[in-house]
Amino acid sequence: MIFWEIAKRNIRIHLLRSSLAMLGIVIGVVAIASMGILGNSLVLTVSDSLKTVGDSVIVTPHVGGTMGGFGGGAGGSSSLKITEQNFQQIKRASAPNIAIPVLQTSDRMKLGVGSDEIVAAIYGLNPDDVPDLLKLKEGGYSRGDSGVLVGSTFAKDNNVKVGSRIAIGTDGEKGTLRVTGIIEERGMAFDVSTDSAIVVTKNWFDETYNRNDYDKVVVKVKNLDDLPGVKTAIENQMNKRDKIVDVVDTRKTMETIFAAFGQITTFVSAIGGISMLVAGVSILNIMMMSVTERIKEIGIMRSIGAQRKEVMSMFLYEALILGVVGSLIGGTMSLIGGYAISSVLLQTTKYLFVFSSLIHIIYGMSFGIVISLICGIYPAWRAANLNPIDALRHE
Amino acid sequence: MDDQPVMVFKDVVKVYPLPSGDVTALDGVSFQVDRGEFISVMGPSGSGKSTLLNLMGCLDTPTSGDIYIGGTRIRDMSDKDLTNLRRDRIGFIFQYFNLFPLLNIIENVTFPMMLKSQKAVDPEKGRSVLRSVQLDDSLFSHTPMEISGGQQQRVAVARALINDPDILLCDEPTGNLDSKTGAGIMELMSELNRQGTTIIMVTHDSHIAEYSRRTIRIADGRIVE
Repeated sequence: MIFWEIAKRNIRIHLLRSSLAMLGIVIGVVAIASMGILGNSLVLTVSDSLKTVGDSVIVTPHVGGTMGGFGGGAGGSSSLKITEQNFQQIKRASAPNIAIPVLQTSDRMKLGVGSDEIVAAIYGLNPDDVPDLLKLKEGGYSRGDSGVLVGSTFAKDNNVKVGSRIAIGTDGEKGTLRVTGIIEERGMAFDVSTDSAIVVTKNWFDETYNRNDYDKVVVKVKNLDDLPGVKTAIENQMNKRDKIVDVVDTRKTMETIFAAFGQITTFVSAIGGISMLVAGVSILNIMMMSVTERIKEIGIMRSIGAQRKEVMSMFLYEALILGVVGSLIGGTMSLIGGYAISSVLLQTTKYLFVFSSLIHIIYGMSFGIVISLICGIYPAWRAANLNPIDALRHE
Repeated sequence: MDDQPVMVFKDVVKVYPLPSGDVTALDGVSFQVDRGEFISVMGPSGSGKSTLLNLMGCLDTPTSGDIYIGGTRIRDMSDKDLTNLRRDRIGFIFQYFNLFPLLNIIENVTFPMMLKSQKAVDPEKGRSVLRSVQLDDSLFSHTPMEISGGQQQRVAVARALINDPDILLCDEPTGNLDSKTGAGIMELMSELNRQGTTIIMVTHDSHIAEYSRRTIRIADGRIVE
């Protein structure tokens, strides 16, 4: 493969300009791959945070609609509530799936003698429903109204352990509860975001905040294929005349979110692709220079028996080497850069070494090689089609 | 087969169409080259020598008339076939040596062999041909820039001979050499011719032309002698 050898040597002899052309490809690959990796890591991060709630239908009072069957509730975070009657209708519509009524508020609380008061979210749940909704990483579920579960971030930030006591309300006026368990980290969630919150029993919540209605209903759907059907059934039941509830299929919402992230990733990768096109122009320019400098050499080759396609292959090899070497360097730098960026921005590198992230390096490298080859085609074609007589006369 | 002329020109006309009007570079040229001949082509500048050389080397095709190389008419041949013909049956020697600067001496010499075989070749034949043109073994791994003009021309001769061509076409082979080195190259050519190689040499130097056994003189696109 003498033409391969000549291509290699020509790159080596013009190392500086070849390196500059490769630098363009390196930058292009890094831009495409790192943007893709970052976007994918963000998707995976959000996916991990949301995956525990992808099997739910969330029913909340319709914001901006008529008050319908809803009444105001004391101590709630919203004036729109779901009544017990509404809940029973939702429960019937979603049967045989589990409908979990959720109460929610926030209050002051103190975590031991001498500690500062903090404000945190409080969820009220039926003790029977809690195991269906929350998993514990430590301790056990509350049996009586004096027990409380705490979120993992809440426990960590406030140094709370199983057995710790939490005084609710200003100066503990609403009572003191004992921590029976610490909830597994759930991340951002559509149903209940418990990481920085506490979970009390519905009875205690009702008595303490004088509530007899709900903030939302979470329907845990056993078969994921039933999600759209359950959503429709609830809407048909509740919104017959007026829209009084908003019903969200969490899986659909997650799909929408992931699709949006995917589009953002594609968009930023496309911006990276522009730098690759600039690199391609640089390759084109250098290849044209190479052809111009070697016109006489091409003429000699043609006169002593080199076919057009062989001359063309010599220049395409050159473009290929520039593309492959540039892409390999770019791919390696993307991995290193991706590791650094993931470590700093996402605080974890676990999303880097997965196929869906690494594929962006392959995309970047492939694009780099393809662009190099495409930009090498015209100069190579021009070289191959030089008239041997004119080429031999060239000085 | 051996009695067949290696090259025949029959009423060859070459016209270059130019915006200012057609220019007739060759006008009804006919001649024959037999195997083992050593021919000089002489003529003043603009007489049509280069056009004749290009046609003999299958780098160009005639406007009318016919050219036969080893009995094969080149007029209707494709670019690919003409290229193969140049590779297999014609050896070129240029005034400015025209070696490939990126390749060493052995690689330069074996380059046409590689074109023919489409794979790596045994460099031994290259060494053997280089020795036959009296190039020292110690120079084989050098690049063209590292050896003298005379040595470069010997390498060029070796490259032209490597595929055992029917004809050696030389364009002012000593034009870029001093007289002593040029004489050495011409002695080499004469020796090759004595061994049976057919040589056609374009030159304007009558001293150099004396090495040949026949001279074709050309003027205004016609053979005058």
